[in-house]
Amino acid sequence: MAENKKHIEEHGDGHEGGHGAGRYILIWAALLVFTITTVVTGRMDLGSANLPLAMVIATIKATLVVLFFMHMWEAEGILKLVFSVSLVFVAVLLLGVFGDILTRSTAALPSAANGTAIYMGADGTGHPSSPEH
Amino acid sequence: MSSSSAGAAAAGKPPGGGHGGHGDSDERHSHNPHLAHHFDDIETQNHASRLGMWLFLGTEVLLFAGLFLGYSVYRHLYHETFRFASHTLNLTLGTINTVVLISSSLTVALAHHAVTKGKNRLALGLLGFTILCALAFLVIKGFEYNHKFEEGALPGKWFHFEEMAGMPGANMFFTVYFLATGLHAFHVIVGMAILIWVAKRLARGDFSTDYNLPVELGGLYWHLVDLVWIFLFPLLYLI
Repeated sequence: MAENKKHIEEHGDGHEGGHGAGRYILIWAALLVFTITTVVTGRMDLGSANLPLAMVIATIKATLVVLFFMHMWEAEGILKLVFSVSLVFVAVLLLGVFGDILTRSTAALPSAANGTAIYMGADGTGHPSSPEH
Repeated sequence: MSSSSAGAAAAGKPPGGGHGGHGDSDERHSHNPHLAHHFDDIETQNHASRLGMWLFLGTEVLLFAGLFLGYSVYRHLYHETFRFASHTLNLTLGTINTVVLISSSLTVALAHHAVTKGKNRLALGLLGFTILCALAFLVIKGFEYNHKFEEGALPGKWFHFEEMAGMPGANMFFTVYFLATGLHAFHVIVGMAILIWVAKRLARGDFSTDYNLPVELGGLYWHLVDLVWIFLFPLLYLI
């Protein structure tokens, strides 16, 4: 336990002393570059590649923030475990719900989905006119 | 209560061993005003605080995950509408706000770094800049909201956005938009309040190279605010 602590302190000092502030600025520059990239590519018509590309860039940016701004890179194992578990549950949530949505027959989806019917109420208030809602 | 639990902690500890034999443990215990009585030493206390903070951040991730899920499902159902609707948002203001948040994330990280190096005046300036960024974000978001209110994009019975009249799911896009950015803006306000509190304590001289955990944990909360926006921005404004 004591040795472990000492190790963490030494590890931390080695980083902080050498290039602590410089590394933060480097990460910031990378985040700016990725932001410009996602804005430029986001408004280009890449067909079905738009969504995955934007998500990949956002994930890279988020990973940089978590690992270096939030010090996950050099954090104790228990912190890595706690945060990873929350991400696992996000994945379970997404997989479970999309496992349902993607395998439904069209009859089980809102009739207005993807422009097949008129969704807006006739009075223009935005209240759904179809009983499925 | 205080004396009995301290006694239990002392009894559970093998005398002289376990802690690498440094006798300053007891000294720190009696002299460090930031150490709560139920922790052996300040390192243990810091570890417990970090763990608590990351548990909280984990629940925050799950809270926003619910909104992202709602977005994903409705985007799947009404993808043409969602594509169109995202182009009605102001990309320039959204991009400026992204840069504002990323830069404020940098300055809050640098502020903590400065405190660990004993440069408290520099840290105070960096925290001040971060708080100004938070304010700038909210003002820009306010202009965006106001514009959308005037266009009639507020969901529910107020929805009369002419540009998207008759498009299925248009109402849902703006429901998700206002809920997700609204909850995020609320987090910006809370984060700003936390950073003001941290800056006040820093100015009062509470923090030093030895004790600066509130600067670190306040910074973690601010990074989370940045993290959520990193995903909200492309989903709502770009694609």
